[in-house]
Amino acid sequence: MMKLFNTILIGITSGSIYSLMAIAIVLVWRSTRVINFAQAGLALASSFVGFEVLTRTGSFWIALPVALLAGAGMSAFIEYFFLRPLLKRSGDESQEIFLPIIATLGLLGVIKAILSFIYGDQNGTISPPVSDKDFIVGANSISMSPMRVLILIVVIVLVSSITWLFQKTSIGLALRASSYSPEISRLAGVRVDLIRTCGWAISGAAGSAAGMLQTANGSGSLSPDSLEFSLLLVFGFVAAVIGGLESLLGAVLGGITLGIFISFVLMYVSGSLVFISAFLILLLVLYVRPQGIIGKKVGRRA
Amino acid sequence: MHKLKANNITRIFAFLFLALLVYLLSNHIDEWRSFQGATVMFYVVAIASIILLTGYSGQISLGHGALVAIGSYTAALTQIYLHQPIWMCFVASVLVTALFGAFLGFAAARLSGPYLAGTTLALAVGLPSIANQFRILGGEQGINFDVGWPPKSLGADFTQYKWFFWISALATLIAMWWLHNILRSRYGRAWRAVHKNEVAAELAGIHVGRAKVLAFTLSAGLAGLAGALLAMTMNNVSPSVFPLYLSLSLLTGAVLSGVTTLGGVMIGAVTLVAIPEIATSVSSRWGDSGNLATYLPNLVVSVLLLLTVFLAPRGPIEKFRAHRSTPERISQTKSKAQ
Repeated sequence: MMKLFNTILIGITSGSIYSLMAIAIVLVWRSTRVINFAQAGLALASSFVGFEVLTRTGSFWIALPVALLAGAGMSAFIEYFFLRPLLKRSGDESQEIFLPIIATLGLLGVIKAILSFIYGDQNGTISPPVSDKDFIVGANSISMSPMRVLILIVVIVLVSSITWLFQKTSIGLALRASSYSPEISRLAGVRVDLIRTCGWAISGAAGSAAGMLQTANGSGSLSPDSLEFSLLLVFGFVAAVIGGLESLLGAVLGGITLGIFISFVLMYVSGSLVFISAFLILLLVLYVRPQGIIGKKVGRRA
Repeated sequence: MHKLKANNITRIFAFLFLALLVYLLSNHIDEWRSFQGATVMFYVVAIASIILLTGYSGQISLGHGALVAIGSYTAALTQIYLHQPIWMCFVASVLVTALFGAFLGFAAARLSGPYLAGTTLALAVGLPSIANQFRILGGEQGINFDVGWPPKSLGADFTQYKWFFWISALATLIAMWWLHNILRSRYGRAWRAVHKNEVAAELAGIHVGRAKVLAFTLSAGLAGLAGALLAMTMNNVSPSVFPLYLSLSLLTGAVLSGVTTLGGVMIGAVTLVAIPEIATSVSSRWGDSGNLATYLPNLVVSVLLLLTVFLAPRGPIEKFRAHRSTPERISQTKSKAQ
């Protein structure tokens, strides 16, 4: 019984990190209809920025916002200089629909290679800012530590501020309008290009938060080839698809669902089947409910 | 009709010429170059399988590394547990991987661009780690695939890698010949029609789903063959041979070759093999400690990928052709109109 409870707790914490990554993917998808496979690279790069700030100042609380800003800046940079010209030019020619996907993969490679140049084989470390010792209740230790509580708080704060931004501000309205119909938004005076760059920037910030928290929650070490970031990319994508790729709430639910599922596989089946089980759950969702768990039923021919 | 026949004969000669070229080449290069030659052949087959899938049938796969892995493991397992001769191992690789590709194709046919990309990405990351779960697959150490020494009749100084090069080249030429023909058959035309416009293809009586699944199956078969070639050249099959990076560099090779034509397939394959070599020599000239040599190839490959996407999205060959033939074509259509 205790094991079951702990499994669910671990799943919720790691799932909340996947939610952030899923939100990052969903935001980019909504603003430009591109899956940004460079997202993991951005998260990695901004985590390294966070690591540099952390070693210089010694404070996680300065490092995290700086990393978020760095992620937002890099993401906006990529949108402005790479994706925007590419999407402008390619139009809807059937030959060229893969170009954005391939371009983001190329960017992922470039980011990783540059980081490898700078850091080589040495690893960065982001140690948890608060204790990661499990709480003890009675005779049992439960899988919830101050660090995990912190992660949940950070995720909740970020998700609710993004939701607030989307629902209550004029930028959010412009974001929703330009993803709903770019042409009409343009007619209504929305600067769609600028708003898209905004969407990418917010997504970059969410992704870098995921990177920082994932590193601090996991091994704490940060290397350009670390598995944790391909994990983050794949799980973020799977979580986003479970949520339907369109809604923020869906991304959060998808992340938590995936986190709990993965945690069960990890605790009850085997560690080496984690990745393939993510693939299987992705196939299952795409077969049974391609519009995602809370999506409306629409065609999936994008 | 006459023209078609003439083309066929030219093509037969072209392939025979290529075979002769490989034969002559293999006599004049050392072990290391033979090894590289065999690797180029592996890339040719793997990239061709992506070109078939992406360029002709319009489905994208970021997970061909996983299919290559299935081919490699099948070859090794067929040899170890079924004690089959080498050519049977190759055939088994192709068949098993094609079967897996058919299963995957049924899922893939329902998915469009980004969904398919993400799904295959998850497969590429997930599949190789299964090897740690089952003892028969040998875990991190992996299992061996030993083709054995070249036959005695070829002479005593016939080296191991030269033998690998010969086998790879023969398999590649056969595969390319077959692929070239199938792309010109009704299936090839159906794939192109589906790629250009699904609705129009459906109206013309093409079963879109079936065409897509078939393309995925055949592409997987080719990837399986590539996997067997890789296993042979590497001698060993383990999860570390198939990182996510392999899938991505195969896709890069396809883009560099020009994903819409089979003609440029050598460009991508040679580039992928040559870049690490060039990087090593550049970094040794600069007196680098090895850091540069390790990381430069990835950077160069990624930058090349981006440049191709932005400058020649259909690949160098198409770019060159378009460049050359545009004025002629315009004048032709003009004269026809008159």
